Amino acid sequence: MKFRTFIWFVGPSLFLMALFIALPLYSVLVGSFYNTYDVREMVEEETCTAGFLAQTCTTTMVSRPVFGEDGRVQTVTEFVGWTSYARVLEPARAWEAVRALDYRALMQINFWAALRFTLMFTLVTLPLVICMGLAIALAVNNAAKSIRGPIIFVSLLPFIITPVIGSLSIYWLFVGDGILTRGIEAWLQRDIAMFAQAWTIELLMLFYRVWHVAPFAFVIFYAGLQTVNQDTLESAIIDGASRWDRLRYVIVPHLMPLIVFIALIHLMDAYRVFEEIVGFRAQAHVISLQWLTYDLLSPDDAGNRAYSRANASAMLTMVGIVILLIPLLRRTWRDHKGSSH
Amino acid sequence: MFVKRLALAGAVSIAATAAHAECSFQNETPVTMLSAAFEAWVAVTDAMAACGNFSPELDQEFRTKQPEGFAASPSLYQLGGVSNGTITPLLNAGTIRPLDDLIADYGQNLTPNQLIQIDGQTMAVAMMVNTQHLMYRTDILADLGLDVPTTWEEVLTAAAAIQEAGVVDYPLGATMMSGWNLAQDFVNMHSGFGGTFVNPDNTPNVNTEAGLAALDMMMRMTEYMDPEYLVSDSTYVQQQFQQGRIAMANLWASRAGAMNDAAESQVVGLIGTAAAPLAMEGGAPSTTLWWDGIVVASNISDEEAANAFRLAMEGINPATVQAAPDAAIWLIPGYEPNEMSQGAIASAIATPAPPSYPSTTQMGLMHSALGNELTAFFTGAVSAEVALAAVEAAYTVAAQEAGLLE
Amino acid sequence: MSDIPRAMRQPLGLKLGSAAFLAFWCLLAAFPIFWIAVMSFKSPVDAFAANPLDVIFGPVTRDRGDGLSALDIGLGVTVLYLTIKLALGWLPRRIADWSPHGYQWAGWIIGATGYALGFLILFFGLLPALLGVLNSILGPLGTPLIGLTTVHYESVWIGREFYENFLNSLLVTGGVVTISLTVGTLAGYGLARSGSNIAFWILIVALVFRALPHSVLVAGYLPVFITSAEWLRPILGENAPTLYGQPLAVIAVLVSINQPFTIWMLRSFFQNIPNELDEAARVDGCTHFQAFRWVIMPVMWPGVITTGLFSFLLAYNDFLVTSLLLDATNQTMVPAIAGYFNRETTTTDQVEAVAAAVSITAPLFLLVMVFQRQIVSGLTAGAVKG
Repeated sequence: MKFRTFIWFVGPSLFLMALFIALPLYSVLVGSFYNTYDVREMVEEETCTAGFLAQTCTTTMVSRPVFGEDGRVQTVTEFVGWTSYARVLEPARAWEAVRALDYRALMQINFWAALRFTLMFTLVTLPLVICMGLAIALAVNNAAKSIRGPIIFVSLLPFIITPVIGSLSIYWLFVGDGILTRGIEAWLQRDIAMFAQAWTIELLMLFYRVWHVAPFAFVIFYAGLQTVNQDTLESAIIDGASRWDRLRYVIVPHLMPLIVFIALIHLMDAYRVFEEIVGFRAQAHVISLQWLTYDLLSPDDAGNRAYSRANASAMLTMVGIVILLIPLLRRTWRDHKGSSH
Repeated sequence: MFVKRLALAGAVSIAATAAHAECSFQNETPVTMLSAAFEAWVAVTDAMAACGNFSPELDQEFRTKQPEGFAASPSLYQLGGVSNGTITPLLNAGTIRPLDDLIADYGQNLTPNQLIQIDGQTMAVAMMVNTQHLMYRTDILADLGLDVPTTWEEVLTAAAAIQEAGVVDYPLGATMMSGWNLAQDFVNMHSGFGGTFVNPDNTPNVNTEAGLAALDMMMRMTEYMDPEYLVSDSTYVQQQFQQGRIAMANLWASRAGAMNDAAESQVVGLIGTAAAPLAMEGGAPSTTLWWDGIVVASNISDEEAANAFRLAMEGINPATVQAAPDAAIWLIPGYEPNEMSQGAIASAIATPAPPSYPSTTQMGLMHSALGNELTAFFTGAVSAEVALAAVEAAYTVAAQEAGLLE
Repeated sequence: MSDIPRAMRQPLGLKLGSAAFLAFWCLLAAFPIFWIAVMSFKSPVDAFAANPLDVIFGPVTRDRGDGLSALDIGLGVTVLYLTIKLALGWLPRRIADWSPHGYQWAGWIIGATGYALGFLILFFGLLPALLGVLNSILGPLGTPLIGLTTVHYESVWIGREFYENFLNSLLVTGGVVTISLTVGTLAGYGLARSGSNIAFWILIVALVFRALPHSVLVAGYLPVFITSAEWLRPILGENAPTLYGQPLAVIAVLVSINQPFTIWMLRSFFQNIPNELDEAARVDGCTHFQAFRWVIMPVMWPGVITTGLFSFLLAYNDFLVTSLLLDATNQTMVPAIAGYFNRETTTTDQVEAVAAAVSITAPLFLLVMVFQRQIVSGLTAGAVKG
């Protein structure tokens, strides 16, 4: 179609994305190279705070922001280059740890611990989600037609429940004396605390993510299975293929575009893992890249927010996702070039 | 059954509004307020709503929304609900106004200990205090013949005895959830050992004898605690008490009321309160004092501010205390302390008195650094000195970014 | 069954294994939600009890007088079963008969709402009244067996006025779905029909946009929205709005954040609609828009419904954007639930949050139940190309 018509069709969508995603993305990129802070002075201040019977008054030297002539606080915005990135990555300390082959010291730096967990989480859940989705789709395909409807409905439940409550429900089942923990304790005949060490929490988070996303993969694969060419299957049987061969050489290649699509979506979502850490209160043991960004952005009681470092952390997260996506994008590009329109 | 309940609910809500319907003036100007969402604020905003034209926002994200909202011109809210910590961004940005004139006009019911003053100017009016203090199972201590502990060493001895007897799952509980809660427990213990946090020149000061002693004491406590203490916030510890699974904890005063709520608790009438234990002989109870109160925005007209303040005074008068006597440890005249508030009061009036939590930017940065870096000590990844050094390093980076340090 | 060739039939072992796996998965999928639903009907002491049987049977709740007797259970189950049977059989037929031609969707909305209201009045109003009378007469058959209390649902929906949050959610979600589909179908059609490299790069860039963490995006919007009255004043004059707390602004944000996913899915649906259809229309003299409106729109519904459902889910379950950009009067349901977990959460608050969460999920259940066939057929229509 002509370029003008194309732009008319795609225009509204592009406009919305440019306004609400591209613009903030640009400001995040720029913001990661600048730092804004208040100008401060040291003054002596007498503070009286509330007490149950009487006030308590103290006089101390405090550092207070300076006010300009317009009644607002004077701020300084300066170009800091790579300083925020350096504060997040801590390259000197990280290099020391790598040279000394000290894994624990490397994990003491927040960014690298977050990166380790995020990568592990993404790369472990990806095959699990795809295999689980495929297995459920094949099993539902095998089921009698009359009960397929209710089974599809039940299978979609983990996907439709809101993550805030979904993760909390699994948390309550396992924390302290939750019923599932007591079940495991009875089975293994020993005391178990699921939330007292990192590896059990990571297992629970992996389980939650697969539980939550497998229905999405299942529904897409199931739809794909409906369009498998029966003739190809029959000729495969005639050629002597076993059930497993049929799966490997007919069904999986047929579903490959879907597998790529799900892998793309899942990689992006799993890399941004965040709700699990909040829902399971896991930040004592593991953190993820988006949680690190969120924590840097959350104001503490005194209202401080580490904007510059949060922007740097967000940019690093995005760079990581793009790197992970490159193999899949190359495949999509080959498909696009090869297919006819 | 349902219809009956509906009618009853309707009748109760009408009755409740009737109880608050005595507002001394009819509010004509729209007033908005942003505060946290816990029960004390519900009680206060309900009282204010009886005067009409009042739309409160009780929002958990108020920490993010308040500084922005008050800085808009005109300010999005006339009133705000703040505590020691959350008043700091508003003070620093100058978006709240001094209240001395307004108090002279409308604040006759206020007592001097409710006023928060900076350099002689009243910037906030406090309505309640909150603090962490010792709560314990009276029946367990009585059965085992133990005295109520007054120092942390005594707490540990009692915990050992309770563990020997095996009457509860865990003798001790603590709100040591990684992040804000863990840092707060360290702040309490460190203050109990006489430590300060930030030097006057904004450099950190926690890697000291007091800091090491505090970490050591906290680690010794964990022996008697649920191994999942790094995910335990105050709700969880409250539930542990209510389900009869712990015997002692240094818990927030505002949590005491629910212990006697028969709908939730299995230990009604069995919880006693006492002052927070001392960390060193002759020291202050190892806790910090917190207040919650009301501030008035500065980016609004003077008439609006006066009207809003008058409305706020309707909210924090003795009628509110009578309507919700157990919602908080009120500072409002007319509050009769009940049995469960004795521990908080004992902590507050002890000599020497525990410090009030400082309302400074530096303390906010230090609190975050503590919350993030101390976890590694409790998971056993690093030693106490390394953990405190990491805290100071994290604080230094944050302070440099905030322009407090070079 | 007889038309499956012998070679394709599965050995008994495989069938049993597949059935067992499916049963295990269904148990896994449904159990956490079933459990919190059970918790929400008990008093807090029972809900968090250590013994699972206590949670199911609710002894403390029963001892307080809130419970279901054998008669209650029998009658309640019968009514539910009849309701579902009628909903699946009788209701669609009546709606098909009554609704005027071409306005099936209107008939569905009215019919479904009416049926739902009737069910609610019967199940929560008339039935309890009837059972209350019967239970007092029947003696042993009328004593409570299982503890059950609806007090949490009442305090959430009536006490905390959750119905306002529900209406807000419907407004925001409805707006997001409508605008997202409108803008997305246009873009998807354009991207599908144009084979140019620009189309491909737009898709890749959209994918990369989707990768940006939402917490950063929203933190960037908040100060801009709060001070919007100031910087919009030069453009819009004195009536420049404050975007913070406006449902319309939140709708725009949610639509934009979900655009990448929407246009990817819709593009693949449109690729599966044969070129020949609109080629023929254009040969007959239609412009691209007319071809889209008159030829493509009637056949694109399966794919659009599926994408619409995903958009609905994303907007309905969203937390980050709605919690920070909406104020108390316009708050949607998920931030309202998160607000129950405030500084002073009690066990009762937690059980009420669970009751609210179960209430939130109920409309989604209905939606999935009604549309599940469309989901699968919609994905089939476009899924192959991926």
